[in-house]
Amino acid sequence: MTGALLFATVPPQNIMHTAWFASLSMFVAINTVLYLTLAIIKLLPKAYLSDWIDQRNRRSESRSIYPDAEAGPPQ
Amino acid sequence: MNVVSRSATRLAASDPGTPGSDHTDLCTASIPARDAAVGREASAGSYAGRHYVRATRYRHASGWLGRYIGLVIAGIAVGGALVLWFAVSASSPSVNPSPKSRALFGGWHVIYDNQAPALTIVIVAVGLGLIFAATAALVERVVMDRSRRSTDVAVKLLAPKLVMAETRGVFGGPVTVTVLIPAHNEAASIGATLDSLGAQHPAPNRVIVVADNCTDATEPVARAHGAEVFSTVGNTHKKAGALNQALSGLLDGLGDNDIVMCMDADTVLDDGFLAAGVQRFTTDRALMAIGGLFYGEEGGGILGQLQRNEYVRYSREIRRRRGRVFVLTGTASMFRARALRTIAASRGRLLPGVHGDVYDTAALTEDNELTLAIKSLGGLMASPNACRVVTELMPTWRNLWAQRLRWQRGALENLGAYGPAPTMLRYWAQQLGIGYSVIALSSFWLLVIVTALTTDQWVWFPFWLGVGSLFVLDRVVSAWSGGWKARLLAVLMVPELLYDLYLDVVYVKGIFDITFARNARWGHVAHAAQPTHETNGAQQRETAEVIS
Repeated sequence: MTGALLFATVPPQNIMHTAWFASLSMFVAINTVLYLTLAIIKLLPKAYLSDWIDQRNRRSESRSIYPDAEAGPPQ
Repeated sequence: MNVVSRSATRLAASDPGTPGSDHTDLCTASIPARDAAVGREASAGSYAGRHYVRATRYRHASGWLGRYIGLVIAGIAVGGALVLWFAVSASSPSVNPSPKSRALFGGWHVIYDNQAPALTIVIVAVGLGLIFAATAALVERVVMDRSRRSTDVAVKLLAPKLVMAETRGVFGGPVTVTVLIPAHNEAASIGATLDSLGAQHPAPNRVIVVADNCTDATEPVARAHGAEVFSTVGNTHKKAGALNQALSGLLDGLGDNDIVMCMDADTVLDDGFLAAGVQRFTTDRALMAIGGLFYGEEGGGILGQLQRNEYVRYSREIRRRRGRVFVLTGTASMFRARALRTIAASRGRLLPGVHGDVYDTAALTEDNELTLAIKSLGGLMASPNACRVVTELMPTWRNLWAQRLRWQRGALENLGAYGPAPTMLRYWAQQLGIGYSVIALSSFWLLVIVTALTTDQWVWFPFWLGVGSLFVLDRVVSAWSGGWKARLLAVLMVPELLYDLYLDVVYVKGIFDITFARNARWGHVAHAAQPTHETNGAQQRETAEVIS
């Protein structure tokens, strides 16, 4: 809506110098970098803290349907 | 700019449950099986009407958000965007184009502009991204750990500790698998589905085709492939109602290690699906459900490839999460009988829906709803990488519109029914993420259009070229396992951005519909009648049409 209003009232070559356009550029820039950060995070393998420091990461009893089975790590 | 992994997130947040057909159509019939069993006399119309009213009443009573869930999600997303906009405006930003020209490769004159956001802006944006990602992961972890360690016998009825305590030292027999396949006029595809089941090792103990108001050869084709057939009686609640009827007579006879698998009639299991599922249910008696990972069938042109890329990214995300489930897909999921019995007993009390129903017949996306139900009760779920299924894709944009509108609206309605409970926070975050990404992507396209209309020369921005390259890298890597076609489409980027824009429009339409209580409709891809018992995918696609 604001964009349409601007086009109707401001010469096209001057739109890039308006405060509205500057705000839009900044808004898009922040969102872009924010989503890029999320993309890079998702691109990398997920790190699980428990893989390194949680020594309880082993079941204390078997979860098998067979009562005599040995306990193992979570699957 | 790209709104990253939006498709995978959107898929996870909505309902990838039934990528293929959804069976539908109201019918008139006599007495529902469950009522007939208890000798109740009821006419079809009055039963259907009462049942629907009851289901809807329970659902709305349990979800105070009701039809306002869409507005709440949209309001928060818009509010967040406005806060950022005003913060940006208050900093008095300015754009000072300073294009330069340089000759490259001899005669090619390139106009470029070294403009880039201030370092503080970049740091703030990166910081926000890190905070969002860390908060989402932390909240999910805390909620999951609380469920795992819960001993709340009043609410967390499927929590591992409670299940373990009840089954400790008791051997309930080896794991068995009973497969239920709801089918509404699926004569064309049911044969291939049953063949894929027959090829599994171990084979399922029972295969029951739940024939729902079929007018084609579904039943004889199913019998010819060795399946049992259960015909619904007076079902007016589509897939959920059909499954409820079949399950009502089945669950009582099943033990703790008996597994019920619900799968679509147009879904083909990969080799090893059942073996992996049985192995997981054998080694973990607290595991309540396994959801299949689906990938799209071949063909369908660029629309098919766009959907396949979406599914590939969803599967990648689940693998990255080590099989932690977003949604137990309706295409093929396995449930411990205890989970389904507990859900049926909890409806109308702890869960939305009618007491005694496994599936909530008022839910547009019954498999998404069942996932939330198990999650609410503290049950463990998984999506092992070996449990993969190939499913049908939407052949036209119109089909896709109908499918995604139903998924999106169903996901929102389910969220409204369950409210802002801690176990639902992840799903709230996903919906808010989609809502905000609609604003972000729209503002990006607005900037592109305004810039294109106000400049008369092509200007390169090295900073944003670099950013765009990283997005392309993300797109390609995340779709890599889909093969060269998937990578080619990903590297082009623009088609996927436009596809996202299309899904954004569906999202907004979904919010509009739910807010103004527009009637929901089911999309149905009709398959051509099949002269033989073999599936002909190409023929199906050619004759597919929306009949909703």
